[in-house]
Amino acid sequence: MRQARLGPRGGAALWAGKLTALMSRALHVGGGTTLPGDVSRWVDRRILTKLAAGLDGGSIVVSGTNGKTTTSALIRHILDSQGRPAIANQAGANLIFGVTAALVDRASWSGALPASIGVFEIDEASLPLLVTETGPRVIVVTNLFRDQLDRYGELETTAAHLRRALTQGPEGVTAVLNADDPMVAALGEDLPRVTYAGVEAPELLQPQLSHGADAKFCPRCGSPFIFEGVYFGHVGHYRCPRGDFERPTPEIAVTALEIDGIDEMRLTVRAGSESAAVRVPLSGLYNVYNVVLALAATRAIGVPLREAAGTLGNFAPAFGRLEKVAVEGRPAVLLLGKNPTGFNEVLRTAIQFGKGRYFLLALNDRIADGQDVSWIWDVDFESLKGVAQHVVLTGDRALDLAVRLKYAEVPGDRIEVVTGWEEALSRAAQATPEGETLFILPTYTAMLELRAVLTRQGTLTPYWR
Amino acid sequence: MAQPPLRIGHLYAEEMNIYGDRGNILTLSKRAGWRGIDVRVEPIGRGPSPDLAEYDLLFWGGGQDRDQELVFADANEHKLASIKEAVAQGSVVLAVCGGYQLLGAYYVTAERQRLPGLGLVDLHTEPGARRNIGNVLIDVPGLGLEPPTLVGFENHSGRTYLGANVEPLGRVVKGAGNNGKDGTEGVRAGNIFGTYLHGSLLPKNPHFADLLILRALARRAPTELAPLDMSVELDAHQALVRRLTG
Repeated sequence: MRQARLGPRGGAALWAGKLTALMSRALHVGGGTTLPGDVSRWVDRRILTKLAAGLDGGSIVVSGTNGKTTTSALIRHILDSQGRPAIANQAGANLIFGVTAALVDRASWSGALPASIGVFEIDEASLPLLVTETGPRVIVVTNLFRDQLDRYGELETTAAHLRRALTQGPEGVTAVLNADDPMVAALGEDLPRVTYAGVEAPELLQPQLSHGADAKFCPRCGSPFIFEGVYFGHVGHYRCPRGDFERPTPEIAVTALEIDGIDEMRLTVRAGSESAAVRVPLSGLYNVYNVVLALAATRAIGVPLREAAGTLGNFAPAFGRLEKVAVEGRPAVLLLGKNPTGFNEVLRTAIQFGKGRYFLLALNDRIADGQDVSWIWDVDFESLKGVAQHVVLTGDRALDLAVRLKYAEVPGDRIEVVTGWEEALSRAAQATPEGETLFILPTYTAMLELRAVLTRQGTLTPYWR
Repeated sequence: MAQPPLRIGHLYAEEMNIYGDRGNILTLSKRAGWRGIDVRVEPIGRGPSPDLAEYDLLFWGGGQDRDQELVFADANEHKLASIKEAVAQGSVVLAVCGGYQLLGAYYVTAERQRLPGLGLVDLHTEPGARRNIGNVLIDVPGLGLEPPTLVGFENHSGRTYLGANVEPLGRVVKGAGNNGKDGTEGVRAGNIFGTYLHGSLLPKNPHFADLLILRALARRAPTELAPLDMSVELDAHQALVRRLTG
């Protein structure tokens, strides 16, 4: 813990930000998760660098298309259990303003920080700036998939942001990369310090690439990859037929895994000669990656694998990510899905591991969701056919979902379009018989709307408190 | 006699499929399949081309810039003669976004690289200062569509200009369309249709999907399409029309 050297301008920036936060809370205009950062940066554009210099233990940043929030939460949980609580930005506030706001919020009025380490999740396009301003010790990249093309542009653009950020990291920075995502693995080629993490469980590989798969061609020669199989999307075991690029052998890998419904999974993780058993209250193959990446990141700053692994039994899922709630007395699970691969994986988790048969799907097309709903055609809603007993559709673009489910040949008499968040939740709960769980799969802003209803009903607390 | 199958060729299915183009293929194949028509969809990749005139309908989607460059070169080298033959034999061509740009004489990328197109239709595409992104509504007179509108989503930096004697697919009511200036959207020339609309295009425009299916089948023998309930699709269509005109 150390006093940051802010100087007069930095001090003014800090105060301006903190006052903004106080005001926005007093006026109940949201949780003040980014605006204070915005104001502080306007007063002193170096405020983030100055505040971050106070983090003696440095910081870990997490970027990539899916899994940022859960991976960051797992890292924080491990550090917490080590007696090293971290300063972190709020889920969703993952632009540079959100990170700045987090430090402004946690700093004292004199600029002292209550913790010595930072864990920040960051949007891919903002990663280069964050790396420049904060000089992290570890940069984690989870995966890279097509995501809201109207907002983020094409995948190549995103990969270029990540490449730039990784090559301009400070001396000694460790890149923790997903070995099984070809686009992410390719980022590590010329970096001095890379830890590859992956999964070595060939019995779980699926022969088919999903429609949300993107990294189908060798980054060097353009030949189609030969996939031994995928765990999900394009994440799996691959090689270039001409030998120009192949999957790096992961230094830290999940070698065995058992998924028990949606309540728990048990993994064996190995790193060199070390091996550890993990029990964690999560589900789904995508979460297996989040866990192994979190273990790799904490190991990179010196937390022994076994110690880290031992802490995960009482991890609490991040909001909207396998979050368990009650809707009019019915057990329900919130599973956020933002893009084809993410949605495919939450659907698979609900159906395969959760034995889900009752659903509420909520599709919005606001800025944060992506205004282009084309992506729902890359989601394999076909998996609902023959499984779903009742599906409630809601959100700004519920009617687009109705068309999508029709073409997935989900019987029309099992589909109900309901307008209004409260009405949709209520109808979905009523249609879910006793003994069954309702699976709620919303896009980002739809999740905020649904959580707001559940909060009013007293089932949840606002996420920013 | 059993109806001949509807053969759909999906050009560059691996390279150009980024904006939900699967929705277009699904819509064509389901709407034909629900009518008892046997449908075969075949992906056509890079390299030497099969005989494209064998296909009743060729679909060509959008891609990322890098993939699009690969495809421009391959299309000119391997596909051009075969596509011309298919068009001469009455095959229907639906090209969306990147595929649409490839129909023309040339396409100039944002990096000012001039890529030669197939020259199937008199049009060309220039780079624009910023991307046109958003929902689109167009009026489509003259094709007998009921309702006479198409809805979709556009996301393109290219500005496409039609030659003097070329007919647009429709007139922009909301959105940018071909170039944001002259009010045109897409192109139609015989059985060739090009457009910037995805979203995906055909699921919310089932009447247009049926028009394409009908024309594709008609190239072999005169035919009629049995009516299908399209209330779910048209509800989504009309909701977007209301939102964009309200």
